[in-house]
Amino acid sequence: MTGAVAGAIDRLGLERRKIGLADAALGAWIALLVAVTAYGAATTAGFLTWSNAKAILTATAFVGIIAVGLTVIVLSGNLFSLALGQTAAISAMVFLYSLRIDLGAAIVLTLLLGLAIGAVQGFAVGAWGANPIVVTIGAAGLMEGMAVWLSHGESIVPPSGATSWERLAQPVLGLPAPVYVFLVVTALLVVVMRRTRFGRQIYLLGENRVAARAAALPITLLTVGAFAIASLYTAGSGILIGATSANASLLLTGSYTYDAIAAALVGGNAVTGGRGSIARTATGAIFIATISDMLLLRGYSTGVQILVRGIIVLVVVVLTNLRSRSR
Amino acid sequence: MRAIERLRRPAGREVAPFAILAAMIAALMLLPAFTSYSVRTANVYDILQNFASYGLVALALGLTIIVGEFDLSVSSMYLLGGMVAVLTGAGSPLVGVLAALGAAIVVGAVQGGLIAKFRLNSMPVTLGGYLVVLGITYVLGHGKSVTYENYAVGLRLDKPIAQIFSIRSLVTLGIFVVAALALRYLRIGRDARAIGGDRRAARIAGVRVDRLLVGVFVVSALGAALPGALLSYSLATASPTNIGFDVLTFSATAALIGGVSLSGGKGGTGGIAAGVLSLSVLQEILSVLRSPDYVSSLITGGLLVVVTIVWAPELSRWLGSARVLRPAEADRSAA
Repeated sequence: MTGAVAGAIDRLGLERRKIGLADAALGAWIALLVAVTAYGAATTAGFLTWSNAKAILTATAFVGIIAVGLTVIVLSGNLFSLALGQTAAISAMVFLYSLRIDLGAAIVLTLLLGLAIGAVQGFAVGAWGANPIVVTIGAAGLMEGMAVWLSHGESIVPPSGATSWERLAQPVLGLPAPVYVFLVVTALLVVVMRRTRFGRQIYLLGENRVAARAAALPITLLTVGAFAIASLYTAGSGILIGATSANASLLLTGSYTYDAIAAALVGGNAVTGGRGSIARTATGAIFIATISDMLLLRGYSTGVQILVRGIIVLVVVVLTNLRSRSR
Repeated sequence: MRAIERLRRPAGREVAPFAILAAMIAALMLLPAFTSYSVRTANVYDILQNFASYGLVALALGLTIIVGEFDLSVSSMYLLGGMVAVLTGAGSPLVGVLAALGAAIVVGAVQGGLIAKFRLNSMPVTLGGYLVVLGITYVLGHGKSVTYENYAVGLRLDKPIAQIFSIRSLVTLGIFVVAALALRYLRIGRDARAIGGDRRAARIAGVRVDRLLVGVFVVSALGAALPGALLSYSLATASPTNIGFDVLTFSATAALIGGVSLSGGKGGTGGIAAGVLSLSVLQEILSVLRSPDYVSSLITGGLLVVVTIVWAPELSRWLGSARVLRPAEADRSAA
């Protein structure tokens, strides 16, 4: 028992190991991606410009915030959530609606709601062992129903007269505010996952559930925490999405759910949990945004962008798995 | 609490789907007694049409859950099936359906092959597959809906037979019967439950796990593509629009109400059919009552959460520990 715990903890630290075939395959894939990106950058008109770099960062911000939050669920070994897009959309709706009170209250209220939505799902998964995928699909259906019910199917617009919220979407020093939020909340989560007991316990839980149980880790609490953080971050992103579009309905759900999961997978986080990092997901999100931007500039359709994203996800999933199995 | 424990027993899991179906049918029959709406044979036809649109997806998804996997790509495969059928079936609808099924075999074999060969978790693989298939559907339709000019085909597929059936629903029912017989009398039925229950033991016992897994994902893709193709003919249009996980939500709920266990190894065709019919009757009740769409999402989402929790593996342990905290109650149940 102690052996399993020690082994699991051991694997969390730095390790010295030989570079195997799978590492070479992953290295070759990364080199290929870098080469394709470099070729694309050199030949795509308008790619290597400051304004395009800003466009990429802006496109990354919303998905990126959701994706780094989702990473805590992935690391805890609970696969992923399929309710994030809906959480973002209803957060945007609640935020714009509660601006009627005032800006600060609207932000706090939306974040608390996000936290609660995630905590409830996390409780079902953590305490009862309910399947995270199915629970979150069900939660997504419930949220959609409730959003249409409460909004009477109309989109929510901010109250006339109030303009304080516009600052959340305006550029600061040339970059939109959401980009700074993305960088700050990512750094914050990096610290939480690396430096706190909660973070280390999440890694252990994802790496080896049996050992985590044996070590008497508070599994329910950790799972609630993981889903609550993911949902809190998604609500934060929803606030920024709402402030940017100044008009919120379920249409905002868009493809945030899959894009966030794709970012976490493309960053190379192990889906089974325990191995990966917040920084990897952030890199994955920026990478996907870069590729999509390049395809867009070269005139490829939405379909091609989705297709390429899917292929990258598949290849990375296979390579990440080869690597983790060769150990 | 007692009732939940009873539902969680194997017998409860087998009876529950039919009990839920009976309750739904009773609710539909009682509608005229409490409201001014009446129920006719047309309602039965509608229910079976809904069964035809989603039943096979639930069966396919249920099969992947029985072998201990999950297929997130069914919702985009449904769209691709429709798109391929409409684009290639202009001359002959049969060619279109065959082309859609061919595409499904390729998609299923690639996904199943990756999952079996590299022992990958099916969630991320089928999520990647979902995106790839959705992307292909967009590209094929140039990002727009495509109209199927041969309207007669759809009318023929949906023409009432004996008032309540149509070609579409009879085909679906026929496939359900074949699947039920195959799962009951052929070795694959036992093998499928075996690899869902304990894959390592099944492998040691000589089950060809990898081959069966590829087969299951091929069947899963076929089960999504066929109703997708038939529905596109029926609507005379195919759309690449990302309809989200709607098909997935419906079929996952139906399969789970139908007694399929998320921990693998348990579930059958009859239960899944009862699950799909329950949801179809529910949709019909809501449409008879002219309820807005959101009521249906609320009820389906709520049902999905409830069945997942009722059959969650650690619920007993949790209920047990809750009881320990209240010794008085524990004494009473011991006595």
